[in-house]
Amino acid sequence: MTQRVITADGLAKLVTEWAKKGAVYAPVKAGSKDWTEFRRVTSLKETDFSRVNTKQSAKGLLFPQREVMLRFKDGKSEEPAAPEEQVILGIRPCDAAAIAFQAKFFTGQGQTDPYFKARLDRTTFIGFACNTPAETCFCTAVGGSPSGTRGLDLLLTDIGGKYLAEPVTDKGAALIADMPDPAIGDLERKLAEKCAEQMPQAIDTAALKRRLDSGFEHPVWDELNLACVNCGACTFLCPTCHCFDVTDEERKGRGARIRVWDSCQFCIYSQHASGHNPRQTARSRYRNRVMDKFKYTVDMVGELSCVGCGRCIIECPAGIDVRETVEVLTRQLPEAAEKK
Amino acid sequence: MPGNPYLPLDVRVEKVTVENDAKDLKTFDLSFVDASARTAFEFIPGQFGFLSIIGTGEAPFGIASAPSEEFIKYTVKRVGGFTTALHELEPGTVIGMRGPWGNSYPLDLMQGKDVVIVSGGFSFTTLRSTIVHLLDPKRRPQFGKITCVYGARSAGELLYKDEIKAWESSSDIDLHLCVDKLGSDPWPRTEGLVPNVLKQVAPSSKNAIALVCGPPIMIRFTHPVLEALGFRPDDVFLSLENRMKCGIGKCGHCNLGSKYVCKDGPVFSYSQLRGLPAEY
Repeated sequence: MTQRVITADGLAKLVTEWAKKGAVYAPVKAGSKDWTEFRRVTSLKETDFSRVNTKQSAKGLLFPQREVMLRFKDGKSEEPAAPEEQVILGIRPCDAAAIAFQAKFFTGQGQTDPYFKARLDRTTFIGFACNTPAETCFCTAVGGSPSGTRGLDLLLTDIGGKYLAEPVTDKGAALIADMPDPAIGDLERKLAEKCAEQMPQAIDTAALKRRLDSGFEHPVWDELNLACVNCGACTFLCPTCHCFDVTDEERKGRGARIRVWDSCQFCIYSQHASGHNPRQTARSRYRNRVMDKFKYTVDMVGELSCVGCGRCIIECPAGIDVRETVEVLTRQLPEAAEKK
Repeated sequence: MPGNPYLPLDVRVEKVTVENDAKDLKTFDLSFVDASARTAFEFIPGQFGFLSIIGTGEAPFGIASAPSEEFIKYTVKRVGGFTTALHELEPGTVIGMRGPWGNSYPLDLMQGKDVVIVSGGFSFTTLRSTIVHLLDPKRRPQFGKITCVYGARSAGELLYKDEIKAWESSSDIDLHLCVDKLGSDPWPRTEGLVPNVLKQVAPSSKNAIALVCGPPIMIRFTHPVLEALGFRPDDVFLSLENRMKCGIGKCGHCNLGSKYVCKDGPVFSYSQLRGLPAEY
């Protein structure tokens, strides 16, 4: 599909137009806080693309942290109205890939989750390639790229005051059809490659998976989680984590059945009604999370559920670094299966 | 949203039966408010559904009725807020139900074979569904000998007393009832834990399938007995109950490694379970 160049003014006009037709979400500086987050905008002026990534990923725009499944009043219940059309502008390739993973999970694997699908069908993804990685970025190590297009309709690369626009889907191509043709120089093409060069080398995730396949009982798990306080921040910030709880909120006959993000790091997450808990220990819960990222989802949907965004590293109050965990597991787990 | 799997269908409580002396086990017979929904609700013994009370919540329970029965039956133990609300329901009340979810007991594999059913406590529900299904006169000739060992703490805690008393004298099923401690009640006559009674009954493993459902401790002690009787891991099936919120493999809660109890189970063969983390 034809690439175009969009000037900053051109992008500003597009954002204003899109905002008239539906919601536009983009990274915005969070008040006096030193970070950006996805907020609804009506003009490009409100946005701030200066950070590599937003504090939280964009996953909440498709899988809200709190979502109404049913509303009820006096014993009668009804489904919520269909979500509105939305454009997510400035999503990084890692986060877009994470939503593509979630889409595979929520819309495949048997039953389709209609809430996620309704939002997905009404969302346009406009990504921003990364020109400079953050210290905690490792998308290249887990199969991603700072200019990856997975999950996107259109990828923008900042080429100094203007944007190289690369359509990924027909939907993306239509967005920029009226823009002038580009004169793409080699210099511009190389921006993304330069970024990738600064990033970590790929890890052999297939070998790690083989080690994890037979490593469930290995003593390496006895020490990996010692610093973990089971706060669950890693799971809430993780753009691929999809677990939720369902609960009813009711007052005077009115209320809603809602779902809220949940975390496998919480003790009660797996606790049976009888009180029995298959993952009673913090060790078993930490192991479940790591196994899920690098083994279980590979078995389930054929891919890792880590996109290398680095948020769990930045925000872990105990300083746990998933890159170190992977390194320790790769070093200590034997590759050959230990048969019982 | 068409076909929203989270949307409960309206069901009416037709009958409430107190099952045990402790009065914390009740069976609910449910009918669909929209009668055509009953035809659409096709299930196989071993599957489960979610019961829902708007404003209170929902929870999963194994279906205790057989597919041929008019009402959908669930037996529920009162353990927390939601089950307490269920226990307070009067006949005539309309609640919600969604499902059926999960796989089922391996009925196809059981064709032409002996069937050994092992159950403890109130987990007997989906096995009741299975037994009623197998004992249907049209279906009974398709299976060999049916042996069942079912135990509870005391006689008063055994479920479906009228039915199991009838089965005790039936030649279609060899039923062994047992209690942890014999009371003054002359019924049943066998004292002992389920795995020990199973050992004494010693059903043949030749061309046989075993179905097991019970508390984790019973499962743990039952397997060695089945193994000693010659049952291969491929021929032993367990029904599991992990915490779950969605029933369709999305919410994450019930995973055993790469499998979800809700979607890939709740029935697993012992050989399948040996390849999965024992997180149940």
